[in-house]
Amino acid sequence: MPSPGPETVRYGGNTSCVQVTLDDGTLLILDAGTGIRGMGIALAAEAARVHIIVTHLHLDHIQGLMFFAPAFRSESEITIWGPASPEASLRDRIARYISAPLSPVEVRELPCEVAFRDCPETEWEIGTAHLRAASVTHRGPTLGYRITADDCSIAYIPDHEPAIGASLENDEPDWISGFDLARGASLLVHDCQYTDAEYADHVGWGHSGLSDTLTFARRTEVERLLLFHHDPMHSDDFLDTFYGSALEGWAELGGDPVALELATERREIELSAATDPLGSV
Amino acid sequence: MSQKPIELILARNLLASLTTPAFLVDDHGSLVFYNEAAATLVGRRFEETGQMAASDWTEQFGPADHEGRPVSWEDLPLTKALFAGRAIHSKMHLKVLDGTLHEIEVSALPIFATGGTRGAMAIFWPVEDGPQAGGPN
Repeated sequence: MPSPGPETVRYGGNTSCVQVTLDDGTLLILDAGTGIRGMGIALAAEAARVHIIVTHLHLDHIQGLMFFAPAFRSESEITIWGPASPEASLRDRIARYISAPLSPVEVRELPCEVAFRDCPETEWEIGTAHLRAASVTHRGPTLGYRITADDCSIAYIPDHEPAIGASLENDEPDWISGFDLARGASLLVHDCQYTDAEYADHVGWGHSGLSDTLTFARRTEVERLLLFHHDPMHSDDFLDTFYGSALEGWAELGGDPVALELATERREIELSAATDPLGSV
Repeated sequence: MSQKPIELILARNLLASLTTPAFLVDDHGSLVFYNEAAATLVGRRFEETGQMAASDWTEQFGPADHEGRPVSWEDLPLTKALFAGRAIHSKMHLKVLDGTLHEIEVSALPIFATGGTRGAMAIFWPVEDGPQAGGPN
């Protein structure tokens, strides 16, 4: 859930939403948490074609959809990608939220052109980007994504508990959830909701503790790690201390401190290969 | 080696936590995991054998019928569960490292997901041992 207030003004209190802009102008939005509200306002009207790529349908990842300004412009073309489920289509599952009594507007009443696509657990192209989706360990059907353009790649696994029942230090890579998605990525945006002490009381909830996230990132040999999906109970001051612990743990694993960051709202990261930039996050 | 489907990863995580012997096969019938309890029964740890093709693990662990005749891979509960797509329960025998046969009961379940059949798992009980520790009395 969002946690706005004076305690979260520095790191931010919105729920998951990441904008990826490719060099060719293609706009990808990863998850539609409450952060998408401000993004929709900030997007210029000419950004008419938008791909919203949802990892899963927990409320904190879709609750911003009804407040996404482009969805209420007739000239907008929005494609929403998300995990398939045997239970119902992606459209029907999202419509449970965008419908009475939770919403005054139904999906069919949106003035924009909106399409829903069950993500194939394979690879596909959007603009100049190559996308790959894979199911990852979380509660309910949940995908992680890898977006590659030129020589840069972003692995986005915001809700992920790869350590449940597994040894991240010792298990073979092919038995670790999300390993292939993250392997060698230029940037890994990964769940790090809990301290290790908190995680002990939340095993099986689908999120990661600090040590597991750091270990996962080191094993997958990512170039940079962005600790993401902060617990809504964590204040800015708490996160400052948390980041200190993260840096210590990262150093113990041999990580470069420059490669480790705590996600901060509106933070922009430019990824570029030696010859050809991917764009910005 | 390619990434295992998440359903197999989760199944392995579960089976690794059980004290009941269990096997896990992928969608081709290759043995991709068996737990410590199963290792005790067959006499070798999974870390020693690694992943095994269907023909290999069938030969090494020697599933046999009640008269000691080899059970073909196609007739194993795991294989039936995998390809018939339904739960199977039966009695059979396993050959352990010293060559002796142990009678077991097997329950095999297919693992389906939105992407199709992922594999199957079998949980088995040595008949002579009675209920498993921690199991129902």
